[in-house]
Amino acid sequence: MEVNLKEMCRTVREDILTMIHAAGSGHPGGSLSSVEIMVALYFGDVMKVDAKNPDWNDRDRFILSKGHVAPVLYSVLARKGFFPVEELGTLRKFGSILQGHPHKAHTPGLECSAGSLGQGLSVANGIALAFKKLGTGQRVYCLMGDGELQEGQIWEAAMFAPQQKLDNVCAIVDYNHVQLDGTVEEIKSLDNLPARWNDFGWNVIEVDGHDVNALVHAFKLAALTKDRPSVLIAHTVKGKGVSFMEGDCNWHGNCPNAEQLAQALAEVRGATS
Amino acid sequence: MAKFKGVREAFAAALTDLAVEGKDVYGVFPDSLSAMRAIAFGEKFPERYVECGIAEQCAVDVAAGMATTGAIPFVGSYAGFLTMRAGEQMRTFVGYTELNVKFAGFNAGCMGGEREGVTHQFYEDIAFVSSLPNFKIFTPADGNQMYHAVKIAADIVGPVYLRGGSGKEPTVFPEDAPFSPDGITVCKDYGTDAVILSCGHVLDRVIAAADLLKAQGINVTAADINILYGDNPAKILEVMAKTNLVVTVEDHNINGGLGSYISRLATENRPVRVKRIALEDYSESGAAKDLGDKEGFSPENICAVVAKTLGK
Repeated sequence: MEVNLKEMCRTVREDILTMIHAAGSGHPGGSLSSVEIMVALYFGDVMKVDAKNPDWNDRDRFILSKGHVAPVLYSVLARKGFFPVEELGTLRKFGSILQGHPHKAHTPGLECSAGSLGQGLSVANGIALAFKKLGTGQRVYCLMGDGELQEGQIWEAAMFAPQQKLDNVCAIVDYNHVQLDGTVEEIKSLDNLPARWNDFGWNVIEVDGHDVNALVHAFKLAALTKDRPSVLIAHTVKGKGVSFMEGDCNWHGNCPNAEQLAQALAEVRGATS
Repeated sequence: MAKFKGVREAFAAALTDLAVEGKDVYGVFPDSLSAMRAIAFGEKFPERYVECGIAEQCAVDVAAGMATTGAIPFVGSYAGFLTMRAGEQMRTFVGYTELNVKFAGFNAGCMGGEREGVTHQFYEDIAFVSSLPNFKIFTPADGNQMYHAVKIAADIVGPVYLRGGSGKEPTVFPEDAPFSPDGITVCKDYGTDAVILSCGHVLDRVIAAADLLKAQGINVTAADINILYGDNPAKILEVMAKTNLVVTVEDHNINGGLGSYISRLATENRPVRVKRIALEDYSESGAAKDLGDKEGFSPENICAVVAKTLGK
């Protein structure tokens, strides 16, 4: 199935806004900044998955470390066919398959729990190590926020993967510069972020995180890198696509009201790129 | 079967034997290979030895990731470094997701960490793990029991927490004594004036107390509780039903461990007086015997507590 990637990004943005509004709470800012990354992974012929057989043994794995952006993941999984799109309207509601933060037992297409920040890369490393030991060629992708890089465990994992030569790990940093209480720079800066990862032994690829074709290319470059893990530093804008949300920490975890939703959807639908 | 002495060597021996038997086990260690007495395991099965460096949180989540692919990782370190430092990882990434990860926490209790001092003694682990659904808690009393406990843990699908002390604890059980699936093994059955229950490495003291009491004309039952908060406590209740006084002895904080578990069983099933001997404060550095005696685990003190509570 040939998918127009830009069109899919627009659809996913609409899903994110609509589902968070319907839920009455959620995290639009980081969901919107991750859209192109997620669409590239699932629709850009990057990850090997089978929506009809979510537990297919030979699948590549995606670990969402910044679990609060569940809406972007749920939208992409639904659009990929892991579960009906109608389920998106049940986000965060009692009995829903879509928990506020992801949990494998509830939702087809997930690998683990997510939401407590700083942990996903360690889990991804464990899966990748097991794949190495099994001798399979499967790859493991892990999406992290930039704010969560303030968690110490990230750097435990950042030391582990190069030590174990896990070239089947591809981490992605959604570098949107904004966290709950303000900008990353004012709270705990990540200056020279590419150099930090490089110093830890990673193959660093910087990419425009809103250029879906560039992302697809970057993922393919990462897959060609041998003997060390790769990290994509995706330069993004928090709240991307909605003018009043962009770069504003107040939209990290806020829900748009009906009027705001209408404006946001109009902006997203009208976007030309 | 590999030779071993004490709970740590028993853990490593069982892990090695499991690998020899073809089980898909891994040893995941945060710079704890030698502390787990597992150097021989690492040499014999280098591909099954995963070194995470001094990074327990990373180690637990690496094990979680490995378990999603069908592997059976055992994370071995000190009890509190796992259950406290990496407690949330155990809860959210292993317990919640019901992943097949096993944990071996050593240096449990003041006698487990002994001369290292409070930073390396852990008396809070059971309190935490017992509040995690899907976890099983095994408290083997000696090396022989640990060996069997590890083998059983590998056959269970789901998280298991194995609690061990220093590895210098006295051997009480014969080599071939099974790790009781009922969660209780009666060691002395002199009578029902009282039932003394313990878990872990204080068992020899409880048995000695039962003998002392017998000499005083007080006839008690002494039993080891090896599974805490298990699914089927019927046999434990059966033993508790024979008496009007249960005394618990454990090298753990008085809250959340064996005493709490037995109190719950009593209140929910058949009310009986429960007297608890356990830690109520942080301990200190010293020889295991001195520390245990200070906390009230000496046979003489256990004996005195039973006699006094019975009004004798």
